[in-house]
Amino acid sequence: MNKKHEPLIRLAKREMMPKGQVWAIRIGSILLALLLGGFILMAIGVNPIEAYGTIISGSLGKKTALRQTAKIAVPLLGCALAIAPCFKMRFWNIGAEGQITAGAIAASYFALYWADKLPALPLLVIMGAAGAIAGGIWALIPAFFKAKWNTNETLFTLMMNYIVIGIVRWLEGGPWEGRKGSQVIPQFAENACLPRVLGVHCGWIIVLILVVLMHIYMRHTKHGYEIAVIGDSINTARYAGMNVGRIMMRTMFISGAISGLVGFIVASGANGTLYHGVADGVGFTSITVAWLAQLNAFAMVAISGLLAVLTKGAETLQTRLAVPASISEIITGILLFCMLGCEFFINFRLILRAKKQQKEAAAEGKEANENA
Amino acid sequence: MKKILALILALVMALSLVACGNKDDDGGKDGKTIKVGLICIGDENDQGYTYNFIRGKEAATEALKAKGINVEWVVKYNIGEDSKCEDANIELAEEGCKIIINNSFGHEPFMLKVAPDYPDITFIGCTNQASWCDDLKNTHNAFANIYEGRYLAGVVAGMKLQEMIDGGKITADKAVIGYVGAFSFAEVISGFTSYYLGAKSVCPSVTMKVQFVGSWSDATAEGTAADALCDAGCVLISQHSDNTTPATTAQSKGAFHTGYNNDMISVAPEASLIGTRIDWSVYFTHAIETIVNGGELEQDWCKGLADGAVVMTDLNTKIAAAGTADKLAAVEKDIKDGKLQVFDTSKFTVQGAAVTNSFALDTNGDFAPDSEEAVFDGAYHESYFQSAPYFALQIDGITWLNSAF
Repeated sequence: MNKKHEPLIRLAKREMMPKGQVWAIRIGSILLALLLGGFILMAIGVNPIEAYGTIISGSLGKKTALRQTAKIAVPLLGCALAIAPCFKMRFWNIGAEGQITAGAIAASYFALYWADKLPALPLLVIMGAAGAIAGGIWALIPAFFKAKWNTNETLFTLMMNYIVIGIVRWLEGGPWEGRKGSQVIPQFAENACLPRVLGVHCGWIIVLILVVLMHIYMRHTKHGYEIAVIGDSINTARYAGMNVGRIMMRTMFISGAISGLVGFIVASGANGTLYHGVADGVGFTSITVAWLAQLNAFAMVAISGLLAVLTKGAETLQTRLAVPASISEIITGILLFCMLGCEFFINFRLILRAKKQQKEAAAEGKEANENA
Repeated sequence: MKKILALILALVMALSLVACGNKDDDGGKDGKTIKVGLICIGDENDQGYTYNFIRGKEAATEALKAKGINVEWVVKYNIGEDSKCEDANIELAEEGCKIIINNSFGHEPFMLKVAPDYPDITFIGCTNQASWCDDLKNTHNAFANIYEGRYLAGVVAGMKLQEMIDGGKITADKAVIGYVGAFSFAEVISGFTSYYLGAKSVCPSVTMKVQFVGSWSDATAEGTAADALCDAGCVLISQHSDNTTPATTAQSKGAFHTGYNNDMISVAPEASLIGTRIDWSVYFTHAIETIVNGGELEQDWCKGLADGAVVMTDLNTKIAAAGTADKLAAVEKDIKDGKLQVFDTSKFTVQGAAVTNSFALDTNGDFAPDSEEAVFDGAYHESYFQSAPYFALQIDGITWLNSAF
């Protein structure tokens, strides 16, 4: 080996790390994020401890705050569940935003035009089903092209978002507009709104049921197994006789359908109307949720809860301490960055030049990934 | 590993030491203190709509301080017209605000979901209209007779056009105003119609073209619309949209301009003649003072020039037509005294005929006006039955280039 060109730092894939150490790194990364965030807060003249306290008390301190936090977590969790199977399959669906919106449009059609014909329960069921089908179809389109002609699903799903959001803008100013020129679609009738359970629209029950169903689907069904195999290697899947295209389309339909259902929940439960911002970035944030949870359905509950606490807490931070919303976003960003970044240190180890010889002696033979 | 942990621990401790400290006490002074929440669709960087509210908020704070009332404002910026608005209303209510003001039309439906849960808090939806029919005592609406200010801006524009005609710069039939409108919404229609009528009162041959941009605030689209209007022969541009791009575009195209929400002379000194805006401090002061003193606040409030709720920005005397200031003062006085009705039905026609009847309000929820006759005593009475504008007639002399929005 040529010693002169030896890099200062090298990366090596780690073997399985002990669980305790993994968690130590994770907790350490959160502490580091809080610390970095603290410096930013200090820089703008806010006491970091008071600020973090405000985030917690503002999001969990009161019954009303808790309800609002839960309301924020519901679509995040639902949508993370939706994209999990796609990501497991290494199909990069970043079109959940559009799939949510498509679902919301379909649900809103029934809310606006069928509310006077049907009682609440059947109406809500139809709205949910319509939302799921519309979201599913919206997701099926890029999957079909991917399966048939191997188009790039990342770009395709992303661009589908803008189309469907454009459709809502047209509906807002066109056929579904309330007062002329107002660009506002009227609020739904009472029977088209999801009823509240414990003060929060019952969408939270729906997504919690979905958590269990998704867990079973991914871990204990043939479909879930097929998805996992495709994710590891498409060629293996082909060799095993799986119809990869069909599985992709099926999985994307399911993913889009869940996103569409989330769209229905947001439109009917939270907003009570359709609005071009109905997805509100949830389709993108939920990618973080799914990734942080390592596609584990139960972990997503915790992660989406954490993000909701941060979001709601940031609002209170702005209200009580006049911290600009953008600062709160920076702090949330730092936290997510550290949490995602620490996975890197769990999977890889750094080898410094000086220490190299001893280390190499110790970890003899381990394939080091020359990555400099 | 241990070293890193130790380092982090040390830093945390250092941080917590530094962090302990000053807490300033501001409450408990003489006089009355009230907490007021303000929910804004944008932030003050728009230099237009929300900026105008923030200016009103600051002026009201000063005015109330002089009366011994301390206002503690809690402002939420960039709140969209969805359930976030509901959350913001809840949050402000939970934080102890006695008055909560929502500044955008689309906020109201969400405000109305929260208002029933907090009967002791006063909820105000600016530019909106539900409070007279929502059966809630604690909801209120407010707007100002901005059409009066627009009429005056129109007079300034018309005098400039007439001067150009008299000076031989343009022929009478080339006196065309271009208007950049946000949407074909009553508030906008009412605004450009009053503007046109003001111009016409001093320049009889004037006509107007309206281009809707499909957004309340889209700097690029507004500039493009102004550009297209100049190319279509408009020699003067006005706007009902949030940005200053119509002003700068007018200047670069050699056209004149009148503004809205903000003084635009600084960005277009060779084009911008005058602007008009709502002075929200008048309402804010009135509302907060009434609530603090335990009085009853009107559910629907709308005042105009006479009460200072609508004001003109400075006249650009360098480029305005000679005698504009005197004429402006005279017309303003007539409006304040009630001698001049902006929507005088003898001054305009719809499809060649004078307007004799037009309903103001919608009572059955189909969004088509069906109640309250707005035309009486020889004029269309705008903002008379409710504060939110309802004038939506397409009068002769104004061409809508597009009405998709």
